[in-house]
Amino acid sequence: MCVGIPAKVVSVKDGTALVDASGARREVSAELLSSLDPGDYVMVHAGLAIAKITADDEAEAASVLSSIAPAEVNNGTED
Amino acid sequence: MDQERITLAHGAGGQKTAELIERLFARHFQNPDLTADDAAVLSLGGTKIAMTTDGFIVSPWRFPGGNIGELSICGTVNDLTCMGARPRYLTCAFQIEEGFPLRDLDAIAASMAETARACGVTIVAGDTKVAGRGQVDGCFITTTGIGELLPNIRTGGALARPGDDVLVTGDIGRHGSAILLARDSYGIEAEVTSDCAPLWPMMEHVFAALPQGDALHTLRDATRGGVGTVLYEIARESGVGIELRAEAIPCAPAVQGLTGLLGLNPLYLACEGRLVLFCAPAVTDAVLAALHETREGAGATRIGTVSAAPAGRVSLITELGTRTLLPPPTGELLPRIC
Amino acid sequence: MEQKTDTRRALAAAREIVCTYRGPRLRIMEVCGTHTHEIFRLGVRALLPETIELISGPGCPVCVTPVSFIDEACYLARECGVTLCTFGDLVRVPGSSGSLADARSRGARVQVVYTPLDAVTYATDHPEEDVVFLSVGFETTTPASALAMKRASAQSLKNFSLLTANKTMDAAYLAMHESCDAYLYPGHVCAITGARVPRALTARGISGVVAGFTASELLTALAVIVKSAGHAPFFANCYPRVVTEDGSPAAQALLHTYFTPVDAEWRGLGVLPQSGLAVAPAYAQFDARVRYRIPPQEGRSNPACRCGDILRGACTPADCPLYGKTCTPEHPVGACMVSREGTCAAWYQYRGAAPASFS
Repeated sequence: MCVGIPAKVVSVKDGTALVDASGARREVSAELLSSLDPGDYVMVHAGLAIAKITADDEAEAASVLSSIAPAEVNNGTED
Repeated sequence: MDQERITLAHGAGGQKTAELIERLFARHFQNPDLTADDAAVLSLGGTKIAMTTDGFIVSPWRFPGGNIGELSICGTVNDLTCMGARPRYLTCAFQIEEGFPLRDLDAIAASMAETARACGVTIVAGDTKVAGRGQVDGCFITTTGIGELLPNIRTGGALARPGDDVLVTGDIGRHGSAILLARDSYGIEAEVTSDCAPLWPMMEHVFAALPQGDALHTLRDATRGGVGTVLYEIARESGVGIELRAEAIPCAPAVQGLTGLLGLNPLYLACEGRLVLFCAPAVTDAVLAALHETREGAGATRIGTVSAAPAGRVSLITELGTRTLLPPPTGELLPRIC
Repeated sequence: MEQKTDTRRALAAAREIVCTYRGPRLRIMEVCGTHTHEIFRLGVRALLPETIELISGPGCPVCVTPVSFIDEACYLARECGVTLCTFGDLVRVPGSSGSLADARSRGARVQVVYTPLDAVTYATDHPEEDVVFLSVGFETTTPASALAMKRASAQSLKNFSLLTANKTMDAAYLAMHESCDAYLYPGHVCAITGARVPRALTARGISGVVAGFTASELLTALAVIVKSAGHAPFFANCYPRVVTEDGSPAAQALLHTYFTPVDAEWRGLGVLPQSGLAVAPAYAQFDARVRYRIPPQEGRSNPACRCGDILRGACTPADCPLYGKTCTPEHPVGACMVSREGTCAAWYQYRGAAPASFS
């Protein structure tokens, strides 16, 4: 369920945002998000921007993991 | 069968299409020359020819990168090309809706003539039917083609063998994306043009450059069901497994964005100017080098290999290095949202 | 550069933690159908030791929508001549006498839309048609249906309504938790409800983590579960770039205004109290059941179909007498075979890919 795709906000007008997902653009409702600016990233689902997000999932993974298993992360070897 | 009706899935090129052909058409038409390949290979007075036919009902008739006229020539030319046949003669039949603008028909015919010229094929006969408004959507075209078999090439969907490399001649899913966008059903905009192209000139170059003709085992153009459907067909017909590297499959970012929004798999989006090739690894470099010298094959790349098992299945090596199966084609392309 | 290195280390570490888990058997239920989908697409199961079992839960709206809902939709198209607007997901779901695709081949008007808001636009553009949107989905999707009503209301649209089968996840968390040791909570549902909803479940002894959908997000979430398992009930938000503690107050307010909680039937799980959302009485003009007085549909499903047991994790598809025989992705009998994300479809499509995980 809930296919979501991250997209970059191109423009915002009257509660509607034009978003860009790797070159595919679509107008979505921005009514759930109070302050949205061009350049922000949002998670889009069924024509709705459901959350403002950061662009990078990997940096997030690193910080989440560091908080529960700092030893492994810091001593991990590179492959 | 009593209660069953034709649904859109029967025309989508997947399992339901195959079932319809096997259970209905093949049952009635059964004969030794009836083919599962893109074109039938026939003998006429000692001369080997390939023959095929294809109907085109694309709506809208004009789309970024082409139109139904160009498409109707490409489809048949490409089917002949895949059998290693030089396309020679084409016939075309038009079903036109009452009220269709003459200037649009003129544009379609001009485009057909130009495309035919570009690949050295001659349009030798035609038929025109006009149907009442609403009985046809604009203009439908059926083309039939005959080609001359090259002496040293023998390809077929059942000839792929373990160890073969799997190549695709360019990035995938463009035509399907261009049509989705042109229909504007989902309010999405993207700069994607159809890959629609006649591929005889490209393959003529490859055939000529091939060190050994029999090293090229299977050629098939990925049309309505996309590259994924073609790979499943070949895996089944040849009784082999196909293993793709997910990260090697070329796909334009805008096509990825579009398919991401709609929950679709680009491997199942139509192409109209892409061939899937199976060849012995010894000639892969030569084939790729020859493809790269052509305009249509500039983006050609190796996407996988053929294995003995699991027969009939297409698997993917994922970004995690694990193996997963490519979900088999299911027919009508439906966005997955919720 | 430094950040990239950290990231690679973190990923390698997460993978290592998951792959080398040697503790007691751990049953993890992914509640969200898109998790199921991505786990298959990425081949995550092939990485897991035998001691970790991933169970596909009830988080695919198509799978838990009762047969009677499709029957109601077919009734509307057949008897009331309405135009059905639907997500593509529902088109192939079998009802008692055929799917929406079958109804379409017999003349029903079925429009596939990307968002309920497009159904409103369609209704505006086609004033001569009566348009019904088939409103399914969980907390993530339902706000879009609420916005559709808001828009239709602002336009005083007379030819638009919703046939609802919307559901909320919290009842399912409670109903299913004995089937697993920890949940992978659905990231996009939590983006709406907030992390506090699943976090509160720890007080009832229910463990889990909120997970995203990319390879690194999924592996990280699994690593966190592996690291936390075996102790007190735990919770972690492993998808903080999308999910906040409070979620989306604006979306919650929309749900509260335009919908009202009702008891709802979940295919396979039965009726779960207050787990559904119906159109709020104040907006009854947009409720297709009120507008068209749809008679109760019996919703005949094949009695041999074991979708219900499969959804509860009580049996596997291989235990169902229909699976792979009369029930295949091309000719689905049960909902779990219709949706790509359904457990049966996933088994059918991917079996043989990683036999060890399907033993």
